[in-house]
Amino acid sequence: MTAVAETPAARAAELRRRGRFNPGDTALHGVTLTAAAAAVALLGLIAWKVVDQARPAIHRFGLHFLVANDWDPGARQVFGAAAFLFGTAVTSLGALLIAGPLSIAIALFLTELAPRWLRGPIGALVEMLAAVPSVVVGLWGILVMGPFVANHLEPWLKHTFGFLPLFRGDPSIFGLLPAILVLTIMITPIVSSVSRELFLGVPRELKEGALALGTTRWEMIRGVVLPYARSGIAAALILGLGRAVGEAIAVTQVIGGNVAIHWSLFQPGDTLASRIASQYQGATTKLQVGSIAYLATILLVFSLVANIAAQAIVRKVARRQPVIR
Amino acid sequence: MTRRGVIPVLAAVAAVAAATAATSLAGTSRVSAPTLKGAGSSFVAPLVAQWQANYKSANVEYNPIGSGGGIAAITARNVDFGASDAPLSKDEFAACKGCVQIPWALSATSIPYNLDLKGRLKLNGKVLAGIYLGQIKTWNDRRIKALNKGLSLPSTKITPVYRSDNSGTSYNFTDYLSSVNSTWKKRIGVGTNAKWPAGIGAPKSNGVAAAVSQTKGAIGYVDVAYAIKNHLPFAAIQNAAGRFILPGNVGIRAAAATVKKVPSSNEVSIVNPPRSQRSAYPICTFTYVILPLKTSKASDLRRFVFWALTGGQQYGPKLRFVPIPNKVLGASEKTLKRVHS
Repeated sequence: MTAVAETPAARAAELRRRGRFNPGDTALHGVTLTAAAAAVALLGLIAWKVVDQARPAIHRFGLHFLVANDWDPGARQVFGAAAFLFGTAVTSLGALLIAGPLSIAIALFLTELAPRWLRGPIGALVEMLAAVPSVVVGLWGILVMGPFVANHLEPWLKHTFGFLPLFRGDPSIFGLLPAILVLTIMITPIVSSVSRELFLGVPRELKEGALALGTTRWEMIRGVVLPYARSGIAAALILGLGRAVGEAIAVTQVIGGNVAIHWSLFQPGDTLASRIASQYQGATTKLQVGSIAYLATILLVFSLVANIAAQAIVRKVARRQPVIR
Repeated sequence: MTRRGVIPVLAAVAAVAAATAATSLAGTSRVSAPTLKGAGSSFVAPLVAQWQANYKSANVEYNPIGSGGGIAAITARNVDFGASDAPLSKDEFAACKGCVQIPWALSATSIPYNLDLKGRLKLNGKVLAGIYLGQIKTWNDRRIKALNKGLSLPSTKITPVYRSDNSGTSYNFTDYLSSVNSTWKKRIGVGTNAKWPAGIGAPKSNGVAAAVSQTKGAIGYVDVAYAIKNHLPFAAIQNAAGRFILPGNVGIRAAAATVKKVPSSNEVSIVNPPRSQRSAYPICTFTYVILPLKTSKASDLRRFVFWALTGGQQYGPKLRFVPIPNKVLGASEKTLKRVHS
């Protein structure tokens, strides 16, 4: 905020800075400016290149691409993104639905409930989960999680919740559900570690004040910790969503690469990112390359929108939040 | 920056690299201790590994990133040679700007399955197409039973597994299905990828192998060397003469014997050979090396590929690669001579 720079102390510092010429400062200014400009230029170049590659497909299919449920790299050469948009939405929102509450629970346990000696090790282990390369998670997904899902989890879901269209169909090691679970594993460390930092930032006086007023631990969490960290949690969830939407390799390995829209989570599908990862290399025609670049364009636009939305949410919630300090 | 940026970045970086490299021929000549870099087909990789060990006149580096990747790499001139199981498409030939493809090895695609049977499963092209079209859904379907008298087939659901990435093996397999089944030919066609009407997709040979071995009732397709190395049981396939053949050296050699003449593009398809070849395995394919016509490493490349086509073929049979027939060899050598510096 500009208000900060207008305090007397800041103005004095500004005057002192102007008064003396410092070559180190000038160099620092140059280097950092170049770095910042390079990042912006790179982003612009990437966006331009992706859109430029997508041109044949944009020209041929137009906006109809977004609703066309077709992907035929054979003689017909017809492409559409509807199935991948659907797959991306289902898998990333599904993963967020599981990972959100799970991560907040982990963060609350680590900051408020766990005995002190347990916090460090568990926190480190959860964060280590984020360091596992996604291709390893995907391989584990095929070899370990997949059979468990197909032989135990999905039959149980079908038996118990089979009245929902989500849990109908034949259990399989490849499909939307394994993809959701793999994504859950990949975004939980991010969301939980960000949430933990947020909860650690809640002023101790507030928490102790609440407890002193006779609240239970749960009432204190619900009344003080969660409201205080609300905007941050929203941002953390959107960060997780971004990761889930963009994740390609691990999803490619377990989702079953199929062009279809259906309600059953047991069926194979595909996401924008995993389709790009599996078919960009060795696409045989200009139109196919263009269509894959079109998918990348959609992903790019989505990332931009998600980022802006995240910032808007954070700003809005932050404004509504009462000033505590 | 968050991870969501990574995929477009990769796509764009690859695109930039391809665009800039394609316009300028990269590579400086190195006279002493030549190194030849190649990339592409994983299908031919076991044989290339033998060549690397036994070829003395140059260091051959080979990166089995898949046929599609190999075509992209040679188009960008990031490598000295590319390798692909699928012949170049028209667009790819145009993009590669002065490339030739030379058949340099010959093998087969096997059909692995996951069923507990007392004997080996027998299939034919019609049934295989029916399975991959989603028309034949269970293992005890009468059309499968009719081919497997004496085997007790379970009522398990059939899960066809296909390659989700672009692959030369898929090209071979769809080429075969198109030649035996008119519905497949009309609706799906031939290609390194397809609009698969049924089943699940898995990336790379190892993904398909994992999917088949982890799913009861699954069926897939991988190159025969891979299936043997990983102890996957595979089916005997009925050929045009009506006999059930395994993808062994005899079956592959017989299939290749059907080549009558080689077109100027060197594109040769030997799937579903005529009934005169009584012991031919019907899902065989040539695999190609892709060379730029003008390259600073022309003489080293010519020498290596010539050796691979002749002396190098002896390392094939134990990996189920069969020496290429003389007609094809003649065409290959003729094309090879056109590579110059």
